[in-house]
Amino acid sequence: MSKNVTVYTTNNCKFCAMVKQYFDTKGVAYDVVNVEEHPERQKEVLELSGMLSVPVTNVVDENGSSKVIVGYNIAELNAAVAA
Amino acid sequence: MAESTSPAPFHDVIVVGAGPAALSAAIYTTREDIDTLLFERGAIGGLAAITDKIDNYPGFPDGVAGLQLADDLRAQAERFGAKIELGEVTAIHDEGKYKRLETTSGDMLARAVLIATGSDYKKIGVPGEAEYYGRGVHYCATCDGAFYREKRLVVVGGGNSAVQEALFLTRFATHIDLLVRSTLKASDVLLRELAAHSDKITVHLGTTTDEIVATDGMVTKVIGTHEGQRIEFDTDGVFVFVGLVPNSQFLAGTTIELDEVGFVKTDENLATTMPGVFAAGDIRSGATMQVASAVGEGATAALKIREYLERPATEA
Repeated sequence: MSKNVTVYTTNNCKFCAMVKQYFDTKGVAYDVVNVEEHPERQKEVLELSGMLSVPVTNVVDENGSSKVIVGYNIAELNAAVAA
Repeated sequence: MAESTSPAPFHDVIVVGAGPAALSAAIYTTREDIDTLLFERGAIGGLAAITDKIDNYPGFPDGVAGLQLADDLRAQAERFGAKIELGEVTAIHDEGKYKRLETTSGDMLARAVLIATGSDYKKIGVPGEAEYYGRGVHYCATCDGAFYREKRLVVVGGGNSAVQEALFLTRFATHIDLLVRSTLKASDVLLRELAAHSDKITVHLGTTTDEIVATDGMVTKVIGTHEGQRIEFDTDGVFVFVGLVPNSQFLAGTTIELDEVGFVKTDENLATTMPGVFAAGDIRSGATMQVASAVGEGATAALKIREYLERPATEA
């Protein structure tokens, strides 16, 4: 099942790099939104997660159902990819 | 070198963690063809990786970005064959010749184990800190500083990390109040930099942080105390750097002895009280919490592990 994955990041965020590396390892394609380079999109992070913090990952399945993962959380990333 | 009749995956050495001590150890073990697996639950490179700039690591006259140093250590370890698995070790059992590790990827066996789980940033434990985590309270300036462009900030702490991160945050914030409970304990270099940024950073010595206050769910002020007087600091966010706590929860209930704070006790060979299990870096009781020290301890631990592996099985 294909999923749309978006990872919200900043320039120097190691945990963001880890999330991207996780998806690279799994062979899962993803879009990156760098909210440091595009501060106008920071509100998306707050709307999705309720937090002003990255990484935030939004995994949307074919039915449009969204799963939001805050931080680098392997268990939640695994569940979101597998579901 | 690795061989086992057990169905559980087997490695000569399993390193718990992938920070500077762990990666340094892996460079040494894998260069000697000792099969080595690293388990990391967080960021490869540990706290060093999320530090903006490391100024006191030898060999880098202009300092080095924590992220860059972490990536270079990792690349060097992987060049010699180290394998890094993303997951968590939840328990260690001594089964004599082998150690059995419970992990999020199932059980694994190793002839020797290196605990290099490091430490994590300590919380201050005041009202509002947990409630507004991620919505105004942060522990990673390099991750979340960008959300505070043209905003006011409070940074709590007076050590190297607090000063370093406050300096980093000046690239975003209009003004920073640095709340220091007693006195500054940062290096002279950082103190000079701090003085050079006095237009943006105001240092408040002898000032406790008592409460973080929010309005409509977003942080708006910090309440502190100085010489018995209550002080309010208007702010849009708080970054906390007040010390470290050991990542040793998974060792509770094992025969590995911890000190009163939770750091792992070792002997002069970096061996713990469980035979075949060693510890290095920030997790070790008595550690200096320096990247250079962690790297050195990782190398020492690797050599001691090699000696351990070369002993006849009856001695191990």
